[in-house]
Amino acid sequence: MKRGMLSLLVALGLAALVAGGCANKEVVKSEEPVVKAEPVKVEPPKPEPPKPVEQPMPVEQPKAEPPKQEEMQAAKAVAPEANFETVYFDFDKSDLRQDARDVLYKNAEIMLKNNPDVKIQIQGNCDERGSAEYNLALGERRAKSAQQYLITLGVPADRLSIISYGKEKPAVEGHDEAAWAKNRRDDFVIVK
Amino acid sequence: MRIHLIILLILLAFPSALRAQTGYVEVTAPGNRQLKLAIDAPHTLDAKPNVDAAKEMTSVIAFDMNMSGTASADTKDQLPLPGNITLAETDFVPWLTAGYDLLVRSEYSLKGDDLTVEFRLFDVLNRKMMTAKRYLGKARDLRRFAHSFADEILLAVTSEKGCFTTRIAFVTTQTGNKEIAVMDWDGHNFLPLTKNGSINLNPDFSPDGREVIFTTYKHGNPDLYKRALSSTTEIPVSRRKGLNITGAWSPDGSKIALALSKDGNAEIYTISKDGSNPVRLTVSPAIEVSPAWSPDGKQIAFVSDRLGKPQVFVMNTDGGNVRRLTTSGSYNVTPRWSPKGDRIAYARMQSGGFQIYTINIDGSGDTQLTSIGSNENPSWSPDGRFIAFSSKRGGPEEIYVMRSDGSGQTKVSQNKGNNGQPAWSPR
Repeated sequence: MKRGMLSLLVALGLAALVAGGCANKEVVKSEEPVVKAEPVKVEPPKPEPPKPVEQPMPVEQPKAEPPKQEEMQAAKAVAPEANFETVYFDFDKSDLRQDARDVLYKNAEIMLKNNPDVKIQIQGNCDERGSAEYNLALGERRAKSAQQYLITLGVPADRLSIISYGKEKPAVEGHDEAAWAKNRRDDFVIVK
Repeated sequence: MRIHLIILLILLAFPSALRAQTGYVEVTAPGNRQLKLAIDAPHTLDAKPNVDAAKEMTSVIAFDMNMSGTASADTKDQLPLPGNITLAETDFVPWLTAGYDLLVRSEYSLKGDDLTVEFRLFDVLNRKMMTAKRYLGKARDLRRFAHSFADEILLAVTSEKGCFTTRIAFVTTQTGNKEIAVMDWDGHNFLPLTKNGSINLNPDFSPDGREVIFTTYKHGNPDLYKRALSSTTEIPVSRRKGLNITGAWSPDGSKIALALSKDGNAEIYTISKDGSNPVRLTVSPAIEVSPAWSPDGKQIAFVSDRLGKPQVFVMNTDGGNVRRLTTSGSYNVTPRWSPKGDRIAYARMQSGGFQIYTINIDGSGDTQLTSIGSNENPSWSPDGRFIAFSSKRGGPEEIYVMRSDGSGQTKVSQNKGNNGQPAWSPR
């Protein structure tokens, strides 16, 4: 049974890869169909753990905030354990390169095979060159590209959420193509 | 009738005659000889002069006037010329001889925390007082009083008041995280606003200057919050799923335009100032961000990459009549509408970084204003004389101010860390 599921998954994955491969020839325009296909999303309304309902509260809660930052980093630290790999993008692009599709295939396997209960947040990021405002939206589009592809590979949509950090959270410092290439990315972070 | 005509002809032939007579100049007309302004050392009304206070007052006025480009200002630090600051007691001869057109004289009293200052502006050539103001307050008001009188000088000289008592909100990494802070327009009186340890972005002032909206990640998602400058409470405005970014207060204060991605991808919406009643203005599979209101509230400029690369577009506030504004350059972002409504400032990515441009509303007159280092995030002063922007020309990102024609580029931020995304307050 389990084996059957897996081969089905592989078949689905291959189909998606083929489909993706075709789409690749028209990458420049292909972002739009991807986004257009978007409205199908029925799942997202699933809210994340109910955040404390916001009532105008005194902001002087620096004690509560810094841990949040650490939490994020802690969450990040979990990711390598589960072997989720980072996906990288070309400048000002959000379409998935072949290497990105390969990585997403592996990430989908990890989610479906080894960690069937785990939920992940896909965090879209940009390099420092674009404008901060525009990059917030570009980072979201990158996260969405990966999300859509993982759904195509059979990952239930309710196990995937996205966020964009624009260029606010570079993975590496540096002002050359080597650094930029590492910063144009989707990170996969386990959420509870 | 005939006499009037002759006078008119004379005035047309010698426009400078008119100016010399009234003491007025046109700020916007290039080629005017720059006026020379002397700022006399202030008289003290106290037993002992307060040299630091006196120096600070004169340096504030000199900085403001020099930045305005209307007059080149010199401060006189030696003892003031004898005689009190009244017209009758003012000896204009030394100033006239030294080539000054305008003279500021002042007297002050600083007893404990109580400050009294009186400034007077004189037309040296015509030996006239042009304006005078007396201020009563506390020691901490000293810079504000001097800025306020610089506003009066500009009013007297150009018939348009200055904006020197305004402030700039911006994003600073002084504490390590991106937090919102406020400073006087000249970089003094740094005041941190947020201290939430998260990422805070894109401040924008309410039209009454009392509140600032910004995007914060303090609860994980990029949400739009506001807070009053007088308060520490951060109030959520829009915490919709996805992006709640690049908020811009409408000129009448009733609405906020922003980019939301709740319906799939980043689109421009307006919401009421309390966050309710979202109205979607753009419908496109592309990215739409960075809305900027025209001063009459009838149009919105924004960034869209619907043609492949980010460009500036303009639409009516109901989302209709969309047209492309920028046609040169392959990456144009962060439009900001001038307070007079005639031009839009934006940043263009070109070799090696961004540069600030301004362009007419019909797409003509596209003009590059900066060229040293990388410069972005323009923000107009409320009188339209200046544009604040962020620049990395000196290494770390800092806030600079220039005149709207690109001249006089001057670093104003003084605190540590990177300082970016300036938003100028209203008057």
